[in-house]
Amino acid sequence: MNIYHPLLTTVTEMVDETPDTRTLRLEFQDDAVREGFDFKAGQFGEYSVFGAGESTFCIASSPTREGYIECSFKAIGKVTTALREVNLGDTVGFRGPYGNWFPVDEWKGKDVVFIAGGIGLAPVRCVIWNVLDRRDEFGDVTIVYGARSVEDLVYKRELEEWASRSDVKTVTTVDPGGETKDWSGEIGYVTPVVEKTAPKADNAVAVLCGPPVVVKLTLPVLEELGFADDAIYTTLENRMKCGLGKCGRCNIGPVYVCKDGPVFTAAQMKKLPPEF
Amino acid sequence: MSERFFISETDLRGLTADLLDGGTEVIAPVATDICQSPSAVAATACTLDGSKVEIDYRQLTSADDLDLSRGLPQLSLKEFFLPEHEALCHWRQKGTTVQVFEVPTEFAPRVVLAAKPCDAAALAVVDKVMNWDYEDELWNGRRAATTVINLACQVIDDSCFCTAVGAAPDDVKGADGLLTPVEGGYVYEPATDKGRALVEDFAARFSADVPADTIGGQADDERAAARARVADNLEIDADSVRDWIEANFEDPLLTHLAMRCNGCGACTGVCPTCHCFDIVDEQEGVGHGTRRRLWDTCQAPTFTLHASGHNPRDTQHVRYRQRINHKFSIYPLRFGEVLCTGCGRCTRVCHAGQDLVEILEAIDIAARRPRDAEPAEAAS
Amino acid sequence: MTGPAIAPAYAGVDELRRVARELLESGEVRVIIGWEDARRGARPVFITDPAEADKLIFDTRCVHNLVTYLDPRRDHVSELGRIGLVVKGCDAKAVAGLLRESQLSRDHVVLIGMRCGGVLEEGELPEPLALTPENVAPRCYGCDNREPTLTDHLLGEPQPEPPRPVMTIDERVAALDDLPLEERWAFWTEQFSKCVRCYACRQVCPLCICERCIVEKTQPLWIESAAHPRGNFSWNLTRAIHLAGRCVDCGECERFCPVGIPLSLLNRKLQQIVHERYGYTASDDPENAAPIGDYRLDDQQEFIK
Repeated sequence: MNIYHPLLTTVTEMVDETPDTRTLRLEFQDDAVREGFDFKAGQFGEYSVFGAGESTFCIASSPTREGYIECSFKAIGKVTTALREVNLGDTVGFRGPYGNWFPVDEWKGKDVVFIAGGIGLAPVRCVIWNVLDRRDEFGDVTIVYGARSVEDLVYKRELEEWASRSDVKTVTTVDPGGETKDWSGEIGYVTPVVEKTAPKADNAVAVLCGPPVVVKLTLPVLEELGFADDAIYTTLENRMKCGLGKCGRCNIGPVYVCKDGPVFTAAQMKKLPPEF
Repeated sequence: MSERFFISETDLRGLTADLLDGGTEVIAPVATDICQSPSAVAATACTLDGSKVEIDYRQLTSADDLDLSRGLPQLSLKEFFLPEHEALCHWRQKGTTVQVFEVPTEFAPRVVLAAKPCDAAALAVVDKVMNWDYEDELWNGRRAATTVINLACQVIDDSCFCTAVGAAPDDVKGADGLLTPVEGGYVYEPATDKGRALVEDFAARFSADVPADTIGGQADDERAAARARVADNLEIDADSVRDWIEANFEDPLLTHLAMRCNGCGACTGVCPTCHCFDIVDEQEGVGHGTRRRLWDTCQAPTFTLHASGHNPRDTQHVRYRQRINHKFSIYPLRFGEVLCTGCGRCTRVCHAGQDLVEILEAIDIAARRPRDAEPAEAAS
Repeated sequence: MTGPAIAPAYAGVDELRRVARELLESGEVRVIIGWEDARRGARPVFITDPAEADKLIFDTRCVHNLVTYLDPRRDHVSELGRIGLVVKGCDAKAVAGLLRESQLSRDHVVLIGMRCGGVLEEGELPEPLALTPENVAPRCYGCDNREPTLTDHLLGEPQPEPPRPVMTIDERVAALDDLPLEERWAFWTEQFSKCVRCYACRQVCPLCICERCIVEKTQPLWIESAAHPRGNFSWNLTRAIHLAGRCVDCGECERFCPVGIPLSLLNRKLQQIVHERYGYTASDDPENAAPIGDYRLDDQQEFIK
């Protein structure tokens, strides 16, 4: 089998997070693969619908949950549109895991702050669960998540689950105008809500992911709060094809998002040439 | 001193015939006078003195096709190791059941005869990325199956610059042996076990009796002269160029170089080291198809286009910068090799007048300029 | 063997340099796009500094159609500001095409026309050669725009007619038409098998300006991207049809093709059909509507059944 040969998975669950975002749960068809498959939070894969092609998403489930992997996506292009039409029991191809990962082991004993906007919660969700499944290894856990409106919040079930836990501080917000009558969360853009939440930077790491504007505006807030550049983690996206460093497409200067990323610290991001 | 053998002109043709008779594929430069083809009446450029010869690397059907008297083939050897399109797997789907079929990663042994040293060197350079953590079995399989025998260059023009980027007209980098033209035939120097195997398997064609003047004599002089001729075209400090590009990503020199570039990608197509590819699924009938990889080009406007519509490289001059950056800075930083062997095809094929010799000269000058001097003048 | 003689530059070069310098100095244009002499021969040049106007040349090597740089998608050119473009008669027809299709506003470009006596098939030569039947660009013969009207300045002197090439493009098309169908099919199969899908033909064509080319569309996928015969036929024929009635015969597609496919024959054949059916050939008059954007009550319709 060559390195581009896909593994086969079956769709065992489907959740429509929002009108345009769907999560698929996939189980490997081959027993040996299903039992042996391992990955680390932050890594990605190439998911495919045979006939439509491959698309790149992070593995949205946690490596602590064995037996399946998940992905969340919006139907925008050819492959994601085809993925949207897939049903329970259908076959989806998978290559991976590729890329680097969140260095969760290095965060032991520290406070962990998760900040995400919109569908940016997908790559963060895997590491949230990874941390929560090993809860007592870490200090305080804070989650700040926002979307344009209540309808656009992804992983609604899990947001409720996290909010109901006493060992996690969960702050959910929607943009002004995006609230519903019975909305009890915050109202405001993610950045000012982070400012208001004011997580402590001392002995803490922050994971930040979302639309470019959210990342751009929230980084200075985290710096104000005292987070060092190498204590802030994010995950970058770029157009990919092979996922393993050969097709020459995803690089930002000398940095390959598929090999040196997709997880980067703010310190590494600042050194990237303006090409993403 | 390396081993040397002599093989006569006749014996080289005989060796080719031996290989073909034994069922071994032989790839070599072939000259085609396109004006002799039946459709010549409609073909391009036959108006030029009634003959237009194209030189291409082709799979030989007969030893008579072998033509070692000419210059650089139009396209490089790339297509024989990274085909323009190749299957990665096939699938068959019935209902919800999908079967995926492997493609072969082992290939029948074959020989490339009279490769240009710049084309062979390119293979060694691309080996690096093809084995960067993940080993590309399709590339490696073809490499393992192929014995590449270089022919020392005699036809050199103003666009060659192999010596400026770590290659040479008589080098064996990426190859298994070297043929050097001498009176009546060639001196053959094997460089690897595969190269030596050729002598062992076809011993009757080779003679250990090498003409005296090839040792420290005329043949060596000619090779040195060829190297000097190329060095005359361009000399650069590749390491300084690499570092300058990295440190001066937004310098107008790198973007103004590309005003006349059309983004056609002809340069990447003819280049022996350009390897960027796309992966697509092709439905070939109801319920079955092939996943292929195919040549792509960083010069295409949609190369880095996200599905969302965002494009990190949305103008031609930043795409052109990427090409220069990848070849002369990124690849050297990551793999210690320049992603270019100085064959000059990109310059010759560019009908908009982009000239890599001129461009590298400009960057080299900027790189050597003292750090506190004026920023480099934009080349128009 | 002695080759053709070196030809002097065409008349008007001094005037061209003066006009270019003045246009830049006055700020009427921000950039002059013309031809210059470089290490490998004539090539396009972008001049923003009036002091460099003397780089401009005009001789038999100036085959490049510079109108391609007016493509609205070339941001790095259009953001410079108003352009002063040097054009031959054939090039002016391409400008008319862009105006006709509202892809260019007339006041965005100052057109400097040069009276031309023909160009070589290939401009990458150290010296301008005199034109002979063997080296002249085939399209120059029978040029119908020797006194271009779509210009703001018209420089130089009337030149003798370019020589008749060994075979004109029409003769080549006729030779293909004379082949039995199987041979014609075999000819194009062989030609398209060389295609590497670099899209040089599209990138250099002054009239291939679609914001999103059909070959880039994936939903649905109209044309496969791999360089196999199916995809190649599809691509080359689709492009030719999209140019029917619009192509100005500049020949750049064929000159740029790195594998030597005689694309001008396809375009000329379709041009002949358009002329025959609609009485239309692209000219440098932007008011003259092309069949693709116009209808007449007496249009032939026998092919619609």
